[in-house]
Amino acid sequence: MTVTSEEIVGRFEAQGHGAFVEDYDPRDQHMTINMGPVHPATHGVLRLLLELDGETVIRCEPRIGYLHTGIEKECEDQNWRSAVTAVTRMDYLAQLHNEQVYCLAVEALLGVEVPERGRYIRTMMAELNRVSSHLVWFGTQALDMGAMSGMFYGFRERELVTDFFEMVTGLRMNNGYFIPGGVWEDLPTGWERPLMHILDLMPGRIDEYEALLTENPVFLERTVGVGAISRDDALAQGATGPIARASGVDWDIRRDAPYEVYDKVSFEVPVATAGDVYARYQVRMAELRESVQIVRQLADGMPGGDFKNMDPKLTPPPRSELNRSMEAVIHHFKLMTQGYTVPPGEVYVAVESPRGELGCYVVSDGGSSPYRCHMRDPSFVNLQSLPVMVKGGLVADLIASIASVDPVLGGVDR
Amino acid sequence: MTAYEPEWVQPDKWRARAETLHAEGWQVRDLCGLDALTLGFEHRFEAVVQLIAGTGDRRTIHVVAAGDPPTAPSVVDLWPTVRFMEREAYDLVGIHFDGHEGLSRIMLPDEWEGHPLRKDYGVGKVAVEFIPQPFLQVDAPGQSTMKDEAQVRLDRLGQVVEAGTETETAGS
Repeated sequence: MTVTSEEIVGRFEAQGHGAFVEDYDPRDQHMTINMGPVHPATHGVLRLLLELDGETVIRCEPRIGYLHTGIEKECEDQNWRSAVTAVTRMDYLAQLHNEQVYCLAVEALLGVEVPERGRYIRTMMAELNRVSSHLVWFGTQALDMGAMSGMFYGFRERELVTDFFEMVTGLRMNNGYFIPGGVWEDLPTGWERPLMHILDLMPGRIDEYEALLTENPVFLERTVGVGAISRDDALAQGATGPIARASGVDWDIRRDAPYEVYDKVSFEVPVATAGDVYARYQVRMAELRESVQIVRQLADGMPGGDFKNMDPKLTPPPRSELNRSMEAVIHHFKLMTQGYTVPPGEVYVAVESPRGELGCYVVSDGGSSPYRCHMRDPSFVNLQSLPVMVKGGLVADLIASIASVDPVLGGVDR
Repeated sequence: MTAYEPEWVQPDKWRARAETLHAEGWQVRDLCGLDALTLGFEHRFEAVVQLIAGTGDRRTIHVVAAGDPPTAPSVVDLWPTVRFMEREAYDLVGIHFDGHEGLSRIMLPDEWEGHPLRKDYGVGKVAVEFIPQPFLQVDAPGQSTMKDEAQVRLDRLGQVVEAGTETETAGS
């Protein structure tokens, strides 16, 4: 004999437990826990508010802001050039992309041209930055899947790239290398040798990573079909970059709206359709190979000439000029104290960072510092698609999904 | 690619405009608050929306936020991606979005006063003080271990004193 739920409710009410039945909330059986903000798998200070039914994620809500440093406000106090040192600290794994998008926005407002060598250097360094950023993603994705050696392999090659950054810019991270009008300093003598060493090494090393993970049954078990997001959901949640491309959105700003010198290089944009963690892994690994090819093309075609716009109203004169020319001293004094002014206006510029569309919205009121400098950080927006990915999955799969979103909390919280 | 001029939309027209744009296939890429205190506009606050079409065309729409507090209609039901962005504009610039459920601070602590990206916000003039929070903070209703604030008393070291366990300290 089967008992219907109405009969059970009737029995409870007959025994005077009506209030109990009314108050019954199925959520009482769910457990609400905080994952983070200090957790090795959240890639920083991200807190996920999880509602769990056993091991199943019913609801996931990212709580952010633990790394908020007010960089957008900070930019309003800097002059146009020194704000580069503020924006480079947002997404600290793609620091040169932050500088690049900010410089492109300021150049659009100023209406200045960047010499071809400056554009080549900027594109090459930004693309190399994509390699180093994807290597960190590879290491953390492998580590979160239990393959600890992946972390060692990824950081081993990233060290070569950061050494090259140190050689060129003087700093390993937070370079402050790009300026509106070009780059701060020319490439040092003998820059080709360490770069060619990296480029010759990387294809073999990427084969090594793929040998570690691509057909690894444990890795496949943890990633295939896990954290899937459909094309429509990815578009609705505003996901860009590898997440959107792994869900079948064939869009890459480098190819479809070329900036700098991306129209002078040839490359493929990898796209997958499965939309799961494994598809995002495939897309990023293919991007890694393409980026190495792009850097090689740019290094081979590096033109000569000026590396920054030599307009004296924009760029301080060289040291040797200061001893001879009063005009140079005046320009130097004006640039170092007040900075240059930018015509009033607003502009939104977007570049393809390793994580997706990195946008910069800059407003000028004609003064010598930005009136408003807003960054559309891809990590911040992509994090919204995480609840869609993990809903109904296991907690262990949540870890795989976070790693595949690749959020950088410095960029999320800004 | 077509170049679109930026346009300004009044708050009462924004819903209809957004529905038209959504039907035409425009996606929101960015939404941020702007305090145009000294820019010489007729209004002070606006939300700046960056849209992109499937063809790669981009356009900028300034949604005026009128009233006090400045309010504009939310479009989170049309484009779910603006969920975080509207919260950020509310948090940092103080623009309210009508129809956005769970419009709360996203970057700053809930007890923060003021909106830092406003031009009249006193940077460096206001000392930042955080209200002591209990160690474990669970956000689901009814599960919080946080005591009623009126019952919580702090001793001189900032520790929570349980009622009735207070001891006299020398020199007080």
